[in-house]
Amino acid sequence: MTENIQTAQQNIYKPAIMKIVARHDEAPGVRTMKLEFQNPAEHELFKQNYRTGMFGLYGVYGEGESTFCVASPETRNEYIEFTFRQSGRVTTALANSDIGDLITFRGPYGNRFPIEKFYGKNLIFVSGGIALPPTRSVIWSCLDQREKFGKITIVYGARTVADLVYKHELEEWERRDDIDLVLTVDPGGESPDWKHRVGFVPTVLEQAAPSPDNCIAVICGPPIMIKFTLISLKKLGFDEPNVYTTLENRMKCGVGKCGRCNVGSIYVCKEGPVFTAAEVSRMPQGDL
Amino acid sequence: MTRILLRDKLDNCVARWRKAGLTVIGPVKKETFSSYAAVENAAELDLSMIMPDRSIKGLFFPQTEPMLHYTIKKQALDIKDFTPPPEKRIIFGARPCDASGMAIDDPLFGWDYKDNFWFQRRNETVIVTIACTKADDFCMCTSLKLAPDSTKGSDVMLRPLQNNRGWLVEELTDRGRDAFNEIADLLQDGSEPEASIAVVPEKFDLDACVTWLQKTENFESTFWKEISMRCIGCASCTFLCPTCHCFDFQDEGDTYSGIRRKNWDSCSFALFTMHTSGHNPRATQSARWRQRIMHKFNYFPGKFNVNSCSGCGRCSRQCPVDMGITETLQAISTLQP
Repeated sequence: MTENIQTAQQNIYKPAIMKIVARHDEAPGVRTMKLEFQNPAEHELFKQNYRTGMFGLYGVYGEGESTFCVASPETRNEYIEFTFRQSGRVTTALANSDIGDLITFRGPYGNRFPIEKFYGKNLIFVSGGIALPPTRSVIWSCLDQREKFGKITIVYGARTVADLVYKHELEEWERRDDIDLVLTVDPGGESPDWKHRVGFVPTVLEQAAPSPDNCIAVICGPPIMIKFTLISLKKLGFDEPNVYTTLENRMKCGVGKCGRCNVGSIYVCKEGPVFTAAEVSRMPQGDL
Repeated sequence: MTRILLRDKLDNCVARWRKAGLTVIGPVKKETFSSYAAVENAAELDLSMIMPDRSIKGLFFPQTEPMLHYTIKKQALDIKDFTPPPEKRIIFGARPCDASGMAIDDPLFGWDYKDNFWFQRRNETVIVTIACTKADDFCMCTSLKLAPDSTKGSDVMLRPLQNNRGWLVEELTDRGRDAFNEIADLLQDGSEPEASIAVVPEKFDLDACVTWLQKTENFESTFWKEISMRCIGCASCTFLCPTCHCFDFQDEGDTYSGIRRKNWDSCSFALFTMHTSGHNPRATQSARWRQRIMHKFNYFPGKFNVNSCSGCGRCSRQCPVDMGITETLQAISTLQP
């Protein structure tokens, strides 16, 4: 949990100013931006507080703020990367922003993946579509201290080949011999030169059949994928407390006051966004 | 020694407080509604109404307020804080349920991250509450374990004397004591017979309701659909509620300059929780009404150990389709736990 770092008279809704230093198109409508702090004190606070799994509110003045995870790992906190799909007012303004433009960031907020608890264990990451960014933050946080973990498996799928994000990093992971990368696209989404799997993520996961022994699973994806992936992991013998996921909900304040992101009594912005499958299964399912 | 404030001294009090730099606020009848508003003299105050249509929430958490001002020039973005201009205020004639409501929301605005927009106003405002001698059928403070003379959230409690002569002064906080020391010479020592406090019958068994709400399986009960069938999602109940605190941010301005505002929002609206993808965790009105009740009597007390309801009854009193918390909790009281 982020410590209360504000001073007495500080406006908690005031964001930091960030400069866009790089941007990269990932998939149709999906873009990654790399941001740098303009104020050293704010950057220092970020470095002290940011841990993988946390999120922030990214804003364009005159348009508003949107919530996305921090997609860059805690091991690389000189900058912030985030990935978004252009779909509404704020994301359109973000998409229209260029390198050198100034946008805003509020955060980091929320809890984190307790990766020190994963030391010495095998890891399996399961992700779908545009849910790779939060997973990617954990993946790089682990890869940057690779010796501390056992076998690392990544199962990633998207609707079509074009919809896969971080394609350049997928190639890099594929080349590494200390990662087992399983890529898939939904049936019908393959291109003529697609040489990986075709099938839905949960099915492909079951085929890959990772051993649940001494293994932590980190899953992130659209609700329907999560639902069936949890079933598949159960079949494979994974215990719910060893399965981690990160929830998303509409947020405005990010600090537990504006009242909309709760699932039952759980505030995603404060107690989350990272939960174990055991915690998620105790939430009222009709509120997810 | 007990001190008494006689009604005929009230105009002098208002003048003195104003002279001391305090904005005096109290229940005022306007053309189409009543609310707490600033007054210049005691004659403007209407202390006879059961409670103003609008709660005192807006005095601490305004319906809309600027939070930031931004200006954008070539490669330069300037953000300026808005802080509410300092204003010492005294609210004379708050209702106990309204005063309680502010105390209920203090932990929410203060947990972990402190919302100074709220606390600056809380610190600058003296709440002088008058115990209720009248109540209507919608009042339900007693069902919430409060009372028509609860002192919770008040800086000073005034207990009405018989024959409308004035009030017994009970100072509860330093802030309240300071404000009444300002007018010490207008008070008199002694005691007089007090008027009887309003009788507010208990309308539901809160503990039984909370037990029912806490049962996991009741989250999916068909009860929620039945009880909220006629809710039109207008959000009046949440806006009038002294403790409902949900808000939204909106930017007002253009590419070059503007302000970011914090506006009241409501869990009654579908857009409140709608995801960009179109998925909505609370897609139906019944899910949204369930959220409101669960939040007030299950989630909020789970976090802050206090119900997010002070029993003012405005939600039922002013609901256009005659629903409300009372009706829902009464219905829950009759269900098997």
